[in-house]
Parts: sequence; structure tokens; C-alpha cells
Amino acid sequence: MLFFLGQIFPYIAIIVFLTGMTWRVLIWLKAPVPFQLTLFPAPQTFAGRVRVIGWEILSFKSLWRGDRTLWLWAWLMHGSLVLIIGGHIVGIYTLTRQFTLIGLSPAASSAWSAGFGIAAGIICFLSLMVLFYRRTAITELKRLSDPVDYFDLLLLLAIVISGMHMRLTSLNIDLPAIRFYLAGILTLHPIPIPRTWIFVSHFTLVNILLLYFPFSKLVHAAGFVVNRAMVTEKPPIYPTPASRVGEARFKQGGRIE
Amino acid sequence: MYVAKPAELEAIGLTYSSESAQTNRALKIMSELRTSMRSLMVMLETCVKCGNCAQQCHSYLGTEDYNNFPAARAELMRRIYKKHFTWSGRIFGSFVGAEEFDEETLGKWLTYFYQCNECRRCARFCPFGIDTAEITIMARHILSELGILPRFMQGIALNMQKTGNNMGIPQPATLDSAQFMEDEMREETGLDIKIPIDKPNSDILYIPSSADFFTNVDTMLGVAKMFHVLGVNWTIPSTVLEAANFGLLFNLQVMRTHNLRLKQAAKDLGAKLVVQGECGHGWRAAKMYTEGCNGAFPFELVHVLEYCAAHLDRLRFKRLPWRVTLHDPCNYSRAGGIVEQPRKIIRACVEELVEMTPNREDNFCCGGGSGILMDEMMDIRLKLGRKKVEQIQAVGDIDYLAIPCSICKAQIPAVMKHYGLEKFEMGGVMDLVGKAMVFDQ
Repeated sequence: MLFFLGQIFPYIAIIVFLTGMTWRVLIWLKAPVPFQLTLFPAPQTFAGRVRVIGWEILSFKSLWRGDRTLWLWAWLMHGSLVLIIGGHIVGIYTLTRQFTLIGLSPAASSAWSAGFGIAAGIICFLSLMVLFYRRTAITELKRLSDPVDYFDLLLLLAIVISGMHMRLTSLNIDLPAIRFYLAGILTLHPIPIPRTWIFVSHFTLVNILLLYFPFSKLVHAAGFVVNRAMVTEKPPIYPTPASRVGEARFKQGGRIE
Repeated sequence: MYVAKPAELEAIGLTYSSESAQTNRALKIMSELRTSMRSLMVMLETCVKCGNCAQQCHSYLGTEDYNNFPAARAELMRRIYKKHFTWSGRIFGSFVGAEEFDEETLGKWLTYFYQCNECRRCARFCPFGIDTAEITIMARHILSELGILPRFMQGIALNMQKTGNNMGIPQPATLDSAQFMEDEMREETGLDIKIPIDKPNSDILYIPSSADFFTNVDTMLGVAKMFHVLGVNWTIPSTVLEAANFGLLFNLQVMRTHNLRLKQAAKDLGAKLVVQGECGHGWRAAKMYTEGCNGAFPFELVHVLEYCAAHLDRLRFKRLPWRVTLHDPCNYSRAGGIVEQPRKIIRACVEELVEMTPNREDNFCCGGGSGILMDEMMDIRLKLGRKKVEQIQAVGDIDYLAIPCSICKAQIPAVMKHYGLEKFEMGGVMDLVGKAMVFDQ
């Protein structure tokens, strides 16, 4: 079992995640956009488009203009998640020495790393709980929600809780061993997974998330970009410039039904 | 809502699918649409059900009906889509919110996709920019392909087919009406201001809303006066006496056909510039859909408000002593990029322009959008218009409410009358141009 969870399942998860997401996005991109669905005010240039979409990703501006409470918790949830993922990458790679790069001592760096990790973990936990509560507390939202909407939140909560458990209890988590194990996975020379049940659970839950990701509403991460790109497209110019006459839009676009 | 009968459908080239075949046929069309329209796929697959759209939708706020909450409305299609076009839906069914298509759902489609005004306000507030209007457009298209269509839409489609305009005005009546308006302007100004119909070799093709020939005459007068002062060579095509394109509101094939009339008329009359009159969705259909419908469009295309705003320095006005507020038609602001032009024109024509809140791209729809103008739906229309009424009440005393879109012009006065708010005039922005214009004798 540990052999499967440690040396096979991670590969299945990552392959399904990468191919699944690529497949989903390619299917979308294969379908034509026959009509410009520009939502005004729209940027006029490519750089403007990147700026508008980028700012929306960073700020969650549309939510801010709508429901400020939702904005706060949604932003905190995603923000802390980014911090956590980033923290995992640099923290494990440098064995929590990442802050020595800005001149801190190794011990101080570890303390900072733990501090940021704990803060981000608590914020992520709280915001997931609030988002869960919100789903049950707002009448129309409760009616709109399907079991899977709660499942997604519970899966993320389980990952956060198992991760925080390693942080906050005095369990002996052998970070160098974990780093060694993960390096083995990444260099395609898998070695047995460290026999710490909490780490195995946390790691397996993450793999389940990756496996599940392309088939769930979590694809909104990719849908965001594809959809935003669609609604920020430049409106057509008339008379149609000669350079555009041969475009695919004209060949496929008129095809209705 | 009255639904068109099979024989009436045939008259506009649609066929009625027998009830037992409807859901299967709907799935077949949905399957074709999803591979030919990226929007349908991405928008159905990206929603996370955060519920941010609920409080932004005047339809939900007005009717307080769960199915009018944009995400729930989209869900009417999304649940079926999941069942038939996604792996998770096929395997996990109702756990992931997938549902079989049945007659009851089809009935809900007809009800609720015709209570969406396609105003796109939800898209403005959706973190992903998911546009429920897009889903409504697809759903209505599918419904019409099954032969399920409001009788109101069928009537308009028939008129469009026969005369090229929604009101079914034949060419002789158009000429009569133009003559009548010319006489009226002669009486008012003493000038010989023309409304040329089907004049060959015209530089500008003006596409009015057909209602401007009967109910919203002042809009037409304003436009004619402007063209007269600017001294341009313009004409109105009797074959496309209609800026509106109801095809966008129920069947994309019908939209395409009407759009082709525009291109044909411009070619036939030798115009270089096409100017679209005061019609909201018609502007969206012309500006955003022409290319996709019928390929390259070799003419310049502008809206009359853009045209007027650009030539404002060549027009002279005596400012009317009015306090005016502007309702931004959804298809100008969110879907058509016309926001500042009407403001610039109004400021030139009257003493005070006061903004309602919210305004511009965040404005609320009048409640008649997407052609929900059926008399039998008056109860619903009043609910859909409630938010607009509150907005207008909040600006205080006004003398004139500018509603530069034919659908708004049909909806808002009816709603205002119901709520007892009739102390001011209502009409287009070009109406103001006509009223405030000063002529050099």
C-alpha cells in the first residue's frame, strides 16, 4: 500500500492533472469564438488586455465591486493558498533556510518560515470555513449548492488540517527526509515514502486533489483566463481591414447550429 | 406568455418538434453549439457558484424568484450539460449537480430564459466574466429550433421576413410617414428638411428603429434635423427600416438573415457609412455580430450618438431649461461601448444632466431588454422594471428622462405609469437634439 501511495500514485496524479488540464483547455480553445463578446469598457491593446486580466487575478476586482465580505474571504483563501504553495516549494527546497538569502541567520529563517506557514495555514483554514458556512447560511446559495460544492471545500480543509497538524503538534517531521523523498519523485527515481502517517495522509490528499482537479469546478483556475480573454477581446473595426478577411472567424464563425 | 402555434412557426421557417422528440433534439443542438461556440462551453464549465451575481440582477431582485438568480438560471442548462457532456456528470450524477433533461426543465427554460433581459450586468460582477446573457441567447436559440417560441417573437419574425422591419411597415407607408414628418418639420422650422427614402448614391445609410416612424417620431426628427444641418447626402433603406435585430433574441439564423439585409442595402444604395439609430440590442447585433454572421463588412459603421457627438461642434443649440437624467441602455454601455457620447450630447442640449446611481457600465436594465415586451407579460415586466424605478426616483425631480433605445422607450413609460411617475417627458437623446437645435436661416 505504501509502495502504491508513495511511488506510483503521485505519478498517476500528476500525469492526470497535467494531461487533464491541457485537454480541457485545448478543447475550449478548439471551439471558435464566432462573435466578439466584448464586455465594455474593454482594453484596446494586447498589453492592456494582459493588464486588465492580471489585475483582476490579483485583486478580485469584480467581487470587490459586488460583495465585499465574499471578496475578503475569497481573496484571503486564494492568497493564503498561493503563499502556502510558494512556501512549500522554497521551504522544502532550502529546508526553511530561504530567508538567509535576505541576511537572516538559519535559525531565524526557520522561525520566519514557520511563522508565515502557520499564519497562512490559519487564514486558509478560517477562510475555507467561512466559505463553507456562507454556502449553508445564504438561502439562495444553499439551494444552488450541490454536494460536490461542499466536497471541494472539505477536501481542501482536510489538506490544510493535515498540513497544520504537522506544523502545530510536536510530531517529529523529518524535513530532510521528506525533501529527499520528493527529490526522488521529481527526478523519476522514487524512493520509499517516509513512514509518518500524517505526512502520508497529507501527501495522498494532495495527490487526490490533483487527480480530481481537471474534472471538477476547480478548473475555474483555467476557465478564468480563457473566459476573461474572451470578454476582453477588441471589438471589430469597420470597414473590415483587408488583413482580416481571411481570418478563421469568417470561415467558421457563420456556422450556426 | 403566449407560444407560437406550429403553423405560425412554419411561416417563419421554423419547425415544431413533437414533444417526445424535443429533449433529444435539444441535446443534439446543444452538442453542436458547444463545439461551435467557445463561450457556451467555458461559461458552463467555469462557474464556482459563489453567488455574487444574485444581488446584481434586477430580474432576481424584482421577481424574488430563485430561478431568476443568474447562476440558478444558467444552472437550468448547466445541470443538463453536465449530465451529457462531462465525465463527472455522467459518473457521479446528482452529487455533482448533473440532471436528466425532462419536459419539466424544458418548461422552466421557456419561462426563465424569457425572464432574463440579457443585460450582461451579472457578467460585470462575475469574477470570471461569465455572461448569463450568452447562456440565455443559446437557450432561446435551442428553444426556437425546437419550435418553442413566444408568439410575440414569431410576429416580429414574420414582419421582418415580409418587410425587413419589426412593425411590418411596407414601403408605401414608409414614404407616407416620411412625408408627414417632413411636413411637420416644415411647419415647425420653415425649412425644407428631407427624410430621403431609398435614395440611390447616398453617402450615408441611416438605419432607424421602425418604431421611430410611428411611436418615437421625435427621435427621427432629431436625426433628420442633424443630417440637414450637416448637409450630408443620406438615406433610409425601406428594405431595412430596422436597427433592431430580434434574431439575436431568439434565433441566431434569423439574426444572420436580418444582418445580411444591412449589408445588402448598403451595397445597393452605394453608401460608405452606415449609421445605426437608437436601438440597444440592434447596435450590439450590428457592431459585434456582423463580422461573425456574414463575414467582412466593407462599410464604416457607427452609432447615431457616436456620429452626433463627433459632429457636435458643427451644430448649434439653445439649451433647454431642463434637468435631465440618462438611462444607459445595457447594450450601449456594457455591450456596445457607448457611454460618454450621449452625455456629451445631452450637456450640449439641456442645462443640467444629473446621473442616476449606478450608471454607465453598472447601470440596471429597464426590464424590457431582450424583447420582453409582450403585453401578456406585463406583471413580470413591472417586476423587472422595479429596480429602474427606484433608481429614477432617487434622482429627484427631473423634466426629462433620456432613454435612447427603442425597447427602453417601450418598457419604461409603461412601468412609470404603473408606479405613478409621469411628471416628466421620456424619449431618446436625438429627440433632445431636435428640440434644442437652432438653424441658421
